[in-house]
Amino acid sequence: MATVNPVRTPNPSLVRTHCLKTPILHSTFNPQVHTLFNKRITLSFTISSKLKASQDVRKKKENVSRKIVLSDSSPPPLKNDEVSTKVESRGGVIGLVKRLPRRVLSVLSNLPLAIGEMAAIAALMALGTVIEQGEAPDFYFEKYPEDNPVLGFFTWRWILTLGFDHMFSSPIFLGLLVLMGLSLMSCTYTTQIPLVKVARRWNFLHSAEAIRKQEFSDTLPRASIQDLGVILMGAGYEVFLKGPSLYAFKGLVGRFAPIGVHLAMLLIMAGGTLSATGSFRGSVTVPQGLNFVIGDVLGPTGFLSTPTDAFSTEVHVNKFYMDYYDSGEVKQFHTDLSLFDLGGKEVLRKTISVNDPLRYGGITIYQTDWSFSALQILKNDEGPFNLAMAPLKVNGDKKLFGTFLPVGDVNSPNVKGISMLARDLQSIVIYDQEGKFAGVRRPNSKLPIDIDSTKIVIVDAIGSTGLDLKTDPGVPIVYAGFGALMLTTCISYLSHAQIWALQDGTSVIVGGKTNRAKAEFPDDMNRLLDQVPELVESSLSSQSDSISG
Amino acid sequence: MIFSTLEHLLTHISFSVVSIGITIHLITLLVDEIKGLYDSSEKGMIVTVFCLTGLLITRWIYSRHFPLSDLYESLIFLSWSFSIIHRILYFKNHQNHLSTITASSAIFTQGFATSGFLTKLHQSGILVPALQVQWLMMHVSMMVLGYAALLCGSLLSTALLVITFRKVIRIFGKSNNFLNGNESFCFGKIQYMNEKSNVLLNTYFLSARNYYRYQVIQQLDRWSYRIISLGFLFLTIGILSGAVWANEAWGSYWNWDPKETWAFITWTIFGIYLHTRTNTNFEGVNSAIVASLGFLIIWVCYFGVNLLGIGLHSYGSFN
Repeated sequence: MATVNPVRTPNPSLVRTHCLKTPILHSTFNPQVHTLFNKRITLSFTISSKLKASQDVRKKKENVSRKIVLSDSSPPPLKNDEVSTKVESRGGVIGLVKRLPRRVLSVLSNLPLAIGEMAAIAALMALGTVIEQGEAPDFYFEKYPEDNPVLGFFTWRWILTLGFDHMFSSPIFLGLLVLMGLSLMSCTYTTQIPLVKVARRWNFLHSAEAIRKQEFSDTLPRASIQDLGVILMGAGYEVFLKGPSLYAFKGLVGRFAPIGVHLAMLLIMAGGTLSATGSFRGSVTVPQGLNFVIGDVLGPTGFLSTPTDAFSTEVHVNKFYMDYYDSGEVKQFHTDLSLFDLGGKEVLRKTISVNDPLRYGGITIYQTDWSFSALQILKNDEGPFNLAMAPLKVNGDKKLFGTFLPVGDVNSPNVKGISMLARDLQSIVIYDQEGKFAGVRRPNSKLPIDIDSTKIVIVDAIGSTGLDLKTDPGVPIVYAGFGALMLTTCISYLSHAQIWALQDGTSVIVGGKTNRAKAEFPDDMNRLLDQVPELVESSLSSQSDSISG
Repeated sequence: MIFSTLEHLLTHISFSVVSIGITIHLITLLVDEIKGLYDSSEKGMIVTVFCLTGLLITRWIYSRHFPLSDLYESLIFLSWSFSIIHRILYFKNHQNHLSTITASSAIFTQGFATSGFLTKLHQSGILVPALQVQWLMMHVSMMVLGYAALLCGSLLSTALLVITFRKVIRIFGKSNNFLNGNESFCFGKIQYMNEKSNVLLNTYFLSARNYYRYQVIQQLDRWSYRIISLGFLFLTIGILSGAVWANEAWGSYWNWDPKETWAFITWTIFGIYLHTRTNTNFEGVNSAIVASLGFLIIWVCYFGVNLLGIGLHSYGSFN
């Protein structure tokens, strides 16, 4: 039904250009929406007419449209139901109140509006990636100055007033998403569900004329409709046979699937809302061997965030280590974590790594970062001493840490000492008091290095692990939505094909249509029809007997 | 060493074969169909498919990870996807001008991948920790397959636009009574034709040649719809599997990372395309415009974000 629009327009190019503009320019919408809407009331449309947006021209061509709607197997009873309910609801003030939701629904389920919303969301998202997000206002004052606006009008005022510095949480963007959700709901309710109701009614076409009017039609001389039915059944069609008429369909689930897609989108949106309002997040850098309490790290993100008992769990970092490639580059980070409850009992122990987080009581702990905490050394066989490593600023992403071991008089104004630098936990580069390169040592190698009669052994390199913690009650809902969306999108690829056939004497008239696979359908049909056996004279007589009987 | 020689060889064979193939395609398109030539170009495409498959497998073996970790590898995978789509189209629909588009897409991506511009990226590097998981295979292969299918579909739509607008310009260039005279003739007829309302339809029945052109447009329209639906399906699975992966690796299923956002924009644009298809008034030219817009957006998503090397998806950036 939806794919075939029987309405002919006297000047379609005019309508065409009009339609072309509306999805792009959001501001030109409202007038059109209103006119659509008024016409809808005065004409009391059928369900089938709601599916089409060309109401502007409907009035003139109503006779044509009705004629073809009938041939299009739109079931007349449904039409009458709709008309009668509309008449009932038109009763004074109460009727107006009753009609209001319907008005809102019809506006929201308007296809051009939905397309406009999608385009607007896409445009805002694109803008959100162009404008730097989450910077301080000073940044925007400088980048988008008033005396030299981008494109002649775009200044920081626009950005800060409209909240484009935090696009994806700005009221405009969120409002559009809400509107989109409302459109999804109303479209499902007013358009998709009735569409399925129509599609589910299987009906026979009894006139050869109607069958020939289908998108695909053919006439098979000397063939029997029963043979055709068997072949269609073999090709996966549901076949219904009544007297000389045949109706077959396949892939009806492809008609239902778009509803599922919309519902899955709504589910994802609901889950996303819950995620945004009911989560806790936090990150922490913990040196190996130390503890932290989960609740101290996590901070709420929204008003629905409520802490759980698991927040009192204490996390102990047993060990943090890295794997390396032969070339020396980091392959993977690992952190061995133990979780203790309030009574000090270990409830869980797991070694986490990137891509393999720990989950406990709704809390997820991710391995996201690392740092160099301290260097453990022996100085002239004394110690061990722990030297704190400081991160040093360098250009680029590579990390660099350094520490300093004073030698001689610590209280003198220009204290000298040994510097130690490290890029990772593998090797430490050592410089002497003069700043000259002295050597490279690996932790655990126990190999001493002698600098001006100071013997230094690097015992261990203690890293600290960077952990991200979160709770997210929205994840199960979002995942359910993801699963549903994938499944329904796959099913949506299926095409709903309908075939009608009529035994007309010794020949069979076949017609059919499909909603998606229009390109393949004629080929598939021809292949199927080629399989229908041609009847020879003797069986022909028995055939006609069986039909008459 | 042996692997890099093999890879070098396969790259160049596939590139030369596909360029010969496209030349033959163009010749058959311009000159009337020469059966032998057409067959040879099809054989060339088969050779290309095998070469590219071999190339990917070689790279997989010697780098010991799925060959989709940077831009160069994803480009090779993209041209492999194009050639696969080309084969599928060929099986579904023999001797068709549609296959010219898929073949030429394959040559462009293959040419770009092997060009000197990306030489630095040819050596396969190591995988950063976040990529060392099976999700890589699922997510990136689905995304690139999706891009390939969407690019093909939107190119078909662009071809439709080109053909249509050339036609429209010609019609409006002629006198008006040419149109009016036919309208009355066509209108009686059109009521019985359950085809889409199209101003071009009226004139297409004028002559056999126009009818042929109408058929080509219809074919383009239907195939682009079908291929874009398939690409949309892959893109959906790709984005969602990426979201699940991000929830494992980065701590959230959606981070509004530039690449993520642009993939979502692409998804939205093709969502708009699919919605325009449900309404017969938007079908044809309007939906083709949306699809052509989608073509640009895929390139922004696929290249633009990598070019800037921003965000969390900066694995394959030019640096």
